[in-house]
Amino acid sequence: MERKLQQTFFALSILALALILAAEWQANTPSWKTYQRNFLQLEAQDEPNAAAKSAVLATPLEIHQVMLTGLQRVDRCTTCHLGVDDPTLKSAPEPYRYHANLGPHIASKFGCTICHGGQGLATDKESAHGNVPFWPSPLLSAEYVRASCGRCHKEGDVPGVPELAEGRHLFETQGCRGCHKSNGVGGSIGPDLSEEGASLRSPEWLEKHFLAPNEVSSGSAMPNFHFTKDQARALTYYMLSLTNEDMGSYYSSVRLIPSPQYGQELFTEKNCIACHSVGGVGAKTGPDLLGVTKRHSAEWLDEQLVNPQLVYPGSSMPEYDLETNARKALLAFMTTATPEDAQSIVAGRKTALKPEDVAIEAGKQDFARFGCVGCHGTELQGGVPNPNAQGGEVPSLLHVADDYTKDEVIAIIRDGKAPPLDNPAGPTPPLYMPSWKHVLSDEDINRVADYLWSKQQKKESW
Amino acid sequence: MNLIHDIWRSIVRRDPLSTDKGKSELVFLNVWLHIHPAKVKKENMKFRHSFYLGFITFFLFLILLTTGIALMCYYRPYPPQAYQDMKDLQFAVFMGPFLRNMHRWAAHGMVVCVFLHMCRVFYTGSYKKPRQFNWVVGVVLLLLTLGLSFTGYLLPWDQLAFWAITVGSNIGSYAPLVGGQLRELLLGGHSVGEAALLRFYVLHVAVLPSAIILLTIVHFWRVRKDGGLSRPVWKLKAKTETLVTIGAPPAVAPLQATAASKDKTYGLMEVVTGKPIFETITPEEEEDTVFSYPYAFVREAVVLMGTVTTIMMMSLFLNAPLEQLANPAKTPNPAKAPWYFLGLQELVSHSAVLGGVVAPALMVLALLLIPYLDRNPSRRPADRKPILWLFTLFVVANLILIVIGTFFRGPGWAFVPPWVHVTGGVE
Repeated sequence: MERKLQQTFFALSILALALILAAEWQANTPSWKTYQRNFLQLEAQDEPNAAAKSAVLATPLEIHQVMLTGLQRVDRCTTCHLGVDDPTLKSAPEPYRYHANLGPHIASKFGCTICHGGQGLATDKESAHGNVPFWPSPLLSAEYVRASCGRCHKEGDVPGVPELAEGRHLFETQGCRGCHKSNGVGGSIGPDLSEEGASLRSPEWLEKHFLAPNEVSSGSAMPNFHFTKDQARALTYYMLSLTNEDMGSYYSSVRLIPSPQYGQELFTEKNCIACHSVGGVGAKTGPDLLGVTKRHSAEWLDEQLVNPQLVYPGSSMPEYDLETNARKALLAFMTTATPEDAQSIVAGRKTALKPEDVAIEAGKQDFARFGCVGCHGTELQGGVPNPNAQGGEVPSLLHVADDYTKDEVIAIIRDGKAPPLDNPAGPTPPLYMPSWKHVLSDEDINRVADYLWSKQQKKESW
Repeated sequence: MNLIHDIWRSIVRRDPLSTDKGKSELVFLNVWLHIHPAKVKKENMKFRHSFYLGFITFFLFLILLTTGIALMCYYRPYPPQAYQDMKDLQFAVFMGPFLRNMHRWAAHGMVVCVFLHMCRVFYTGSYKKPRQFNWVVGVVLLLLTLGLSFTGYLLPWDQLAFWAITVGSNIGSYAPLVGGQLRELLLGGHSVGEAALLRFYVLHVAVLPSAIILLTIVHFWRVRKDGGLSRPVWKLKAKTETLVTIGAPPAVAPLQATAASKDKTYGLMEVVTGKPIFETITPEEEEDTVFSYPYAFVREAVVLMGTVTTIMMMSLFLNAPLEQLANPAKTPNPAKAPWYFLGLQELVSHSAVLGGVVAPALMVLALLLIPYLDRNPSRRPADRKPILWLFTLFVVANLILIVIGTFFRGPGWAFVPPWVHVTGGVE
C-alpha cells in the first residue's frame, strides 16, 4: 500500500510535469507563428543569396500591433496580414496581400477594425475575424465594408459611398424618428438606433428588415415602407455607421469641405425663403440675408442655426437639427448667395409666399423632424397598416378639420391617443399616437396644428 | 566551513538523528508535525472516510492563490481595460489562457468541494461535541468561499460578469431595512459600475483571501486540537462515550497532580482533573496508529498532485468563458446569477421575499446552529435517520433548484428545456 502510494505520487508528478509541458507547447504553437513563418519563406524566395535568405528567415516571430489610443483600439491584424503596407506584395496570396486604395487611411494611423470590423486584439483567425460567439462585430463582407466610412464621416457626402448620404436622408425624411431614437431625439415605439452599428444584427438581417420587417422579426410593429432594394441598402449602410464610439479628436475632426451647392440645396429643402429674403427677394418675416456673413461672425451664425432662441429670445426661427457640415454648407452658400439665386428658389416653389408660411414652415419642420411623417406620411396621407385599428391603417390627416377642432387636435398631440379598435376583442394595434408633451413645447405643437390646417383638403363630395 | 555549518544549524536546529534527543526534536521542532498530530489513526486515513475533501479544498485554494497572484500581474481593475486585459490574457500573454482557465476551474471546484466537504462532515456527524465550533468556522469559510467566487465573477467585466453580479446583488437587496444600503456599500453606487469593480477587486485580492487564510488556520488548528479527524462511522460503538469539558474542577478537589489516566493525551495531563475536551484514544486504538510522517504526508501529497493534475487537464481543454464587453444598456434575457446562487434566483422568481430574504437567512442560520440544535449525541447513521433525511432533502432541493435555474430557464425566466433552441436571447 505505502509503496503503491509513493508510486502514485511519482506518477502524478510526472503527469503534472507532462501537462505543464503540454500547456507550454500549446502556448508556443499559435497559428500566427505559422503564418509568419510562411511569410518569411515567401520573402526569402526573392532574396539573391543564401546569407540574405537566412537573415530573413531568422527574423524573430512576434505579435505586431497598432495601438490606436484615439480609437480606443489595439489591432493585432498585422501579425498575420504582414504585407498590408508593402506595395511590392500587390499580388501576394492572402493574408499577406498589400491593401491598395487606402488613401490617407494607413494601417499605422487607423488600424484595420475601424473599417473592417472583427476582433483586433485576437491572434487566431476565427477570433480575429470575429466569427466566434460573443463578438458583436464580425468582419464586414466586401459588400458592406464601405458603410464604415460613415463612422467618422458622419455628415455630408462621402466620396464613393453615396449610400451613406442617401440612407441618412431617408432616415431623416421618412419619419424613422417617430418610433426610433437616435442620439436622444425620437420616439420609443421601436428600439433606440444610436448604436445600431455596434449591435449583433448582421447587415443581411438589417437589409431584409428594411424590405420586409415581418419576415425577419415576426410581430414587429415596423410598417413595411416598400423601400426599393437600393433604399434598403442605403439605410443598412447608414445603420451600420451608427455608433456611439468615441472616435477621438483626430478622427472625428475628419470633415468634408462644405460646398455652396450643398448649402443651396439645404436652403431650398428647408424652405428658408418662406421667412427670409436675399437682396429683397423672398419673404419679409425674417431678416434679409444678403451679406449676412459680413455682418456676423461665423460662430454667431452657427449658434443662430443651432439654437435660435438662445441668440434671440422669442425668435420665431425653428430649430433645424442641422449637422455641423450642413451648417457650414449653408454659411458657404450665404457668402455667395445673390438675389438671382433667391429668385430661382422662389420660382421653383409650388405655392406663392404668404405671411402664415412662418408658423406653417416651423410646424412642417417639427412634423418631419420628430418623425410624424413615419406613420402619417410625408404628404399627410396616412395609410401605414395598423392591424385591428379602425380602418386597419394609420389615418390620413388631410381631413382632420372635418372631425376635430384645432384645440382637440392639439390635445391629441399633447397627450397621445390609442387608436379606436376595429374589433374590440382583437389584439391591440401595434401603432399608437404617443404623447408629445415632453418632447415638443406648446408653441411647437401649435405650429404643427397650423401646418395641419394649412394642408386641409375639401371633403370630396359624392 | 564554519559559516556553512552555522547557516545549516540555524535552519535545522535539531540534534543529529543518531541521538534520541535529535529523533524527538525532529517532531517537536517541525511546524508541519504540529499542524498534524505526530501520530494518526490508520482508520482515519482511509479514503472512504473523508474522501480528503478538506484537503482537496485547501489545495484548490493554494492553486487559486498562486494563479491569482500571477493573474494580478496582468489585470487592471477599471472598466474598459479590465476586459481588454482578459483579451490580452487570451491572445497575447504566454500561457495566459492556461493560467486563467486554471483559476476559473479551481474556483468552481473549490465551491463544489467546500460544499461536498460540508456534506461529508454532516453525514458522519462530525460536527458534534467537541467539534461544534469548528463546524461554525467551516460555515463561515463556506460563505467566504462563495464571497470570493462572487467577487471574482465580476472581474472579467464581460456581459456574463456584469449581469450575474447585477442579478446577484439585487437578490441581496431584498433584505429588509439594510438590504438596499448593503448593496450600495458593496457596489459603491446604485448599480454595478467602476466603483463596484474596484471594490470587488479589493475584496477579491485582499480582504477575503486574508480572512479565509486566517480562518483556515483556526479551522486546521481546531481539527488538531479537537482530537484530529473524527472516527469513521464504521468504527463507532453503539454506545457513545460522553466527553467532559475542562472547566472548574469539582469544588471539593483542589488542583493537584493526579496519576496518569489510561487515556493518552497531549494536553495538560496530570495537572488538572477531569477528562480533556478533545476526543481521546484508548490504548487499544493507540496500537492502531501510525506516524503522520510519512503515512499521512504521502497520502496528502498524492491528493495534492491529483488535484493539481485534474485542474491542469481541465485547463488544457476547457476554456473559461468570456462574453462581450459589459454593456449596462443591454440586458441579456434571461440575466442569470452565478450558478451557485441560481437556486436563490429561482426562488426569487416566485417570491422576492422568499428567495432574497427568508431562504438565505434561514439557510445560513440553520447551518450555523446545526451543532447546537442537534442534541442527539450519537454519530451513528442508524441513530440519526430523521436529520439525515432532512439534510438530504435540503441538499437535493438546492440542487434541483440550481439545475432548473441553470438549464431550464429561458428568456423572461420562462420554463424552457435545454433541448429547445430559443433565438433572440440578446436584445
